[in-house]
Amino acid sequence: MFGTKVLVEWEGKDEIMRIQEDMSMYDKLNILTDAAKYDVACTSSGVERRGDGTGMGNCEKAGICHSFSADGRCISLLKILFTNECIYDCKYCINRASNDVQRTSFTPDEICRLTMEFYRRNYIEGLFLSSGILKSPDYTMELIYAALYKLRVECNFQGYIHVKAIPGASAELIRRVGFLADRMSVNLELPTNESLRLLAPHKNRKNILTPMRLVQKGMMQNKQEVAVYRNAPRFVPAGQSTQMIIGATPESDFQIMQVAEALYKKFELKRVFYSAFVSVNEDTNLPANRQEGPPLLREHRLYQADWLLRYYHFEAAELLDDKNPNFNVLLDPKCNWALKHLETFPVEINRADYLTLLRVPGIGYKSAERIVKARKFAVLDFADLKKIGVVLKRALYFITCSGKMMYPTKIEEDYITRNLLNVGEKLPDSVKEMSFRQLNLFDDVNFYKEDLREKKRRIPAFEQAAL
Amino acid sequence: MKRIYICQDNITGLFSAVYDAWKQRRESGEAGIAFRGSVAQELFCEYVEVAESEEKAIAVENLIKRHLGDDSYWDLYHAALSADSDKGSAILGTMLEARKIPDSRKIMNYLTCPHVAKVFELNRRVSNEAHYFKEFIRFKELDSGILVSKIRPKSQVLTCVAPHFADRLPLENWMIYDQTHGMFVVHESKKNWVLVSGVQVNIEKLDRYSDSELEMQRLFKGFCKSISIEERCSYNRQRQHLPLWFRQNMVEFEQ
Repeated sequence: MFGTKVLVEWEGKDEIMRIQEDMSMYDKLNILTDAAKYDVACTSSGVERRGDGTGMGNCEKAGICHSFSADGRCISLLKILFTNECIYDCKYCINRASNDVQRTSFTPDEICRLTMEFYRRNYIEGLFLSSGILKSPDYTMELIYAALYKLRVECNFQGYIHVKAIPGASAELIRRVGFLADRMSVNLELPTNESLRLLAPHKNRKNILTPMRLVQKGMMQNKQEVAVYRNAPRFVPAGQSTQMIIGATPESDFQIMQVAEALYKKFELKRVFYSAFVSVNEDTNLPANRQEGPPLLREHRLYQADWLLRYYHFEAAELLDDKNPNFNVLLDPKCNWALKHLETFPVEINRADYLTLLRVPGIGYKSAERIVKARKFAVLDFADLKKIGVVLKRALYFITCSGKMMYPTKIEEDYITRNLLNVGEKLPDSVKEMSFRQLNLFDDVNFYKEDLREKKRRIPAFEQAAL
Repeated sequence: MKRIYICQDNITGLFSAVYDAWKQRRESGEAGIAFRGSVAQELFCEYVEVAESEEKAIAVENLIKRHLGDDSYWDLYHAALSADSDKGSAILGTMLEARKIPDSRKIMNYLTCPHVAKVFELNRRVSNEAHYFKEFIRFKELDSGILVSKIRPKSQVLTCVAPHFADRLPLENWMIYDQTHGMFVVHESKKNWVLVSGVQVNIEKLDRYSDSELEMQRLFKGFCKSISIEERCSYNRQRQHLPLWFRQNMVEFEQ
């Protein structure tokens, strides 16, 4: 068995076999779920597939969440690692080689049984299989392939499968796995190469982008095959995704959004996920374990901006720039943009085109569609907008119906900001209570080794004198 | 005088009422539909009992599909499944309104009409609820190998979720029991699903689970626990996505 490697060197073979047998399915599942939980890409969307009547499973285009865990994140797929053994030593990862945690592995049979039994009870929408690196990337990919092959072919499972492409695995293996999976993802982990070098010394940008490019090319090629042969097997039909860890390294939101935008444009990714950094390891290169917990609000703002890129025809450079490299914590990116571009408002609901409507805070892409359709029949007023689903408490400062605003308002940045904040979303206490406070040496603990040195250099002369 | 058609609260009843009102060329303000057992008496109205039949319902279905299109039909159908007492009048009103606009197939875009807006809202409510149940239905395996799920929906969502599960689990014998409306969807392996109502079941038999069932429940409960990240815990966010109402028959929330 794979999980015994470390113990072999310590204790002797007989002992190990016993320990392996003792570990129940329950314990294994808990360990390997716990090890996989920091991966955020748990969606089951992107592919519509009816069952063929001979096996089990189908897929819905929009994806289906089956439950929500105590942290409010959705449980859609059986998210597990094949093994939590790993030869890599990424600083932020709970499974890093130098960590002393209990190691174990599933067998392909166990994965199949769990997936099939959970699926038929409607607990899950499919399988999310990731893995630590056992021996080598190719060896690990081969194991994943074996498990997926068994599930797809022997068990005739037709539900959703999301699998990780392991950086460094051979092109042929990735191609074979791609024909069994619905979605593949390679984690970018950190937005810049320098951060990768610092925190994930065994990974590099090139290694990560190579499989991404491979999958993209495979999908393009497959599109042509499917056009000619309708029944040709589909290669990664739900596209590929990736994730970045937010807050472990000092990149700004602007840098992160630019990377995301490039990934959408150049690699045709379906989704980029952002994962607020949760401190699980102590390391000098990592931010110290902060009391306020993972940067959830920042993650939330990044997701909001991500939707603006994908659904609302925004570009990263419109939302942020070098002078304002980070999102406003108090307002969502769309409101923030609107407040900085008050010259384009108010827009007339009965005349403005679809793309202009999309830029109004409080109007989503569905409401915008409905407005465009409904105004063909009658002139719309504010009561109609409410029924259509427009959030008037946000939109009212930016729109007119038949030339009139809902009630007289000033088109003034300060005035609107004040009002939006009054009716706005619930913000965490740490942000609400943000105000001036006493300067303290031990506040704002971003103790990066390199960062600190840099800060020292930047401290103005008069402050240095005071120190 | 306004005439109110009284029928059973199901698709056949409602569509039969629409059939009668339509046949008598009633205008929108002159006709309404109410359901037997929940009629709120109004002044200056006459009340008529509807003779319900499958033929009338099918005739109305074809009428809607032919003139308003398939998409609008499903919107109206979903609205007809909701638990709202005004749904009948809204559906009738929408159909009557559709005659007045140039392209009847686009009736569901005409959201400034109150009847259409009502149907739109009901459709959204029922489709959303049906989607919730696609997510949150939990099957339990009985000792006979049959998968059984009990739900307590507000609208009559069984016919909305049944095709989904029939496609997903074609080789299984399964059954969904709607406790609110006393209806069942029954699916036999490799056959079509059927809707059953008005029968007595031996509820005790539905509680005899197989051995592997309890083991799987334990595994899934463990999975749900270990998948959550402690540092991010948020009871409110969990409740926002998964309201307590839906949790009553979900394995992972059972004690």
